[in-house]
Amino acid sequence: MTDTWKELSELQPVVLKMLKNSLEKNRVAHAYLLEGDPGTGKKKAALHFAKSLLCEGEEPPCGNCRNCRRIDHGNHPDVHVIEPDGASIKKQQIALLQQEFSKAAVEADRKIYIIEHADKMTASAANSLLKFLEEPASDTTALLLTEQYQRMLPTIISRCQLLSFKPLSPSILKDQLIGEGISIPMASLVSNLTNNLEEALRLSREEWFAQSRRIVLKLHEVLQKQSLEAMVKLQEDFNSHFKDKQQVNLALDLLLLLFKDLMMVQTGKEQDLAFPDQLALLKNQALHSSAGRTAEQITAILEAKRRLESNMNPQLLMEQLVLKLQGGPSFV
Amino acid sequence: MKFSIQKDRFAQSVQDVLKAISSRTTIPILTGIKIDVTEEGVKLTGSDSDISIESFIPQEEEGKILAEIEQPGSIVLNARFFNEIVKKLPLDRIEIEVMNSFQTVIRSGQSEFNLNGLDPEEYPHLPQIEEREVFKMPTDLLKTIIRQTVFAVSASETRPILTGVNWRMEDGRLVCIATDSHRLAMRKAAVETDSDAEYNVVIPGKSLNELSKILDDTKEPVEIVITDSQVLFRAKHLLFYSRLLEGNYPDTSRLIPTESKTKLELNTKEFLQAIDRASLLAREERNNVVKLSVIDQDTIEISSNSPEIGKVTEQVKSRSVEGDELRISFSAKYMMDALKALDGTEINVQFTGAMKPFIIRPEQDDSTLQLILPVRTY
Repeated sequence: MTDTWKELSELQPVVLKMLKNSLEKNRVAHAYLLEGDPGTGKKKAALHFAKSLLCEGEEPPCGNCRNCRRIDHGNHPDVHVIEPDGASIKKQQIALLQQEFSKAAVEADRKIYIIEHADKMTASAANSLLKFLEEPASDTTALLLTEQYQRMLPTIISRCQLLSFKPLSPSILKDQLIGEGISIPMASLVSNLTNNLEEALRLSREEWFAQSRRIVLKLHEVLQKQSLEAMVKLQEDFNSHFKDKQQVNLALDLLLLLFKDLMMVQTGKEQDLAFPDQLALLKNQALHSSAGRTAEQITAILEAKRRLESNMNPQLLMEQLVLKLQGGPSFV
Repeated sequence: MKFSIQKDRFAQSVQDVLKAISSRTTIPILTGIKIDVTEEGVKLTGSDSDISIESFIPQEEEGKILAEIEQPGSIVLNARFFNEIVKKLPLDRIEIEVMNSFQTVIRSGQSEFNLNGLDPEEYPHLPQIEEREVFKMPTDLLKTIIRQTVFAVSASETRPILTGVNWRMEDGRLVCIATDSHRLAMRKAAVETDSDAEYNVVIPGKSLNELSKILDDTKEPVEIVITDSQVLFRAKHLLFYSRLLEGNYPDTSRLIPTESKTKLELNTKEFLQAIDRASLLAREERNNVVKLSVIDQDTIEISSNSPEIGKVTEQVKSRSVEGDELRISFSAKYMMDALKALDGTEINVQFTGAMKPFIIRPEQDDSTLQLILPVRTY
């Protein structure tokens, strides 16, 4: 937790600029809604902002003064963090917060509350909070964090300043992963699948995921041979490895990235591939196929993903997809 | 940090500060007791961020050495375990030493505990007190004031400001008011003060209840200091801090009627018991409402009627009844609370009509006042 403004600004330039300006011009809003995908640094930015408001050091936030350290350790009496209690944020939690805020601040002249997963508030909790947001005391600052801001009450959103966190670009995550000692092919693939560093690391180190990657590549290779071997392959490895809906969905994502790479190769963009180690194979395949054909194949995969969401039998779904990928629409 | 201390005195102090520590706090450091050791003595602090209690054990008292300080310093130790440990140590002498990285060793006789401490720097700061704006009152008066007002604070959080007692200092007199918007309790008291500062603060009712519990019934003066965000009560070797409620307390002066149409003089005990009996049947009903009617020049009637259960009537002698005839209904609970809070064997009740609030005062004493709003029944 030694991030400085600079490090965070590299990841989220717009948001950090807005926060910094509000501090410099001394026009801190009474409520902010921090919205963005998991792993985009919302919590870090929120704590960072809290530190900047309360820091006693020379260059806020210094990270070394009493207040900064206490915020890091969750010990500051005027900074309150609320997390979902089980599946949701209960009304009682908001009521306690309101009680707390009816009193004068313990030390500083400013009180801050951070609500994580604000979209998980129950309806009554959200309504209590709304009343609280409507009548802000001059010295309170609310920071609401959410991953699904469309699920919040519009009346809450309208009372907050919205800060949208951009998804991280895959290349930054890829560099971070390589820094953590992940191999380049794996890092490239995983950084295309997720935004979250922790999840990416988990996937990269998982045996099951490595196996998945191998099976999908194998399937892709067999697909080129225009034979019924693909069907056999499907029965052999695929169905036993990808068991539930989420796993099949991941397999489809991998396949989709592979065809996306093919499209990239066909259009002459050979950087930033999800499967850089398959470049030779992809180049070879690009010669045998057209961009139009690849687009059709991608459409077929996207269609399969959609059908999976509407609970189609995964086995039948995959068989149909394999036939489509092999023979094109005229075949089936 | 290293010191040794007499066990009983130390355990008592730990008990005192433990009252401020809440088991369900969200702030990890507040699960601990802070120990500050200086050349003068040992100071213990406990807090739940609303109230904080400090207890001081001087190095020496009345020629008796209580603590031997070898090296000053501070530490925060888990309150629950520390309290149990201190209580159960074998000898009358406890030695406490802080090693590296907040490791704390507690020794007594052959037993030795190692406790993991927390960084004392992370403990909340208590406000620095300026000595000049102090006022004093005897402990028993302070406890009486609390008893006579705090019961009337609002239990609901819809208007947080009403969960506190309003303390106003004007011209060297302290006026304390509590109300939940259905009743009001007021107490005035003269205090000793050097400054002519004026205050208007709201102290949470819960804090005052806690304060009342930890103070002994003595004539010893308590010093009171009010700052922007906290109020401090200082008794001998004990400091009690409470946070203040934010916001403006409603103006209650216009609520209190100045004239009266009907005036009763009653014996407190008889009246209280009559209300208590009448409320036996009324309690089942939603509001616990009893009715008071003036019968003649020296009698009033208390009655209550619950159609499903039955009814009760009782006549109470009044020393004097002045003014108009009256029938009024009110909450028996509010009336009993008010009567219990009043001192004095005789009380005055002044009404200004069946739909207007009425006030209750002890005879020949206008420092206390209770006001109750009637209930509309017909």
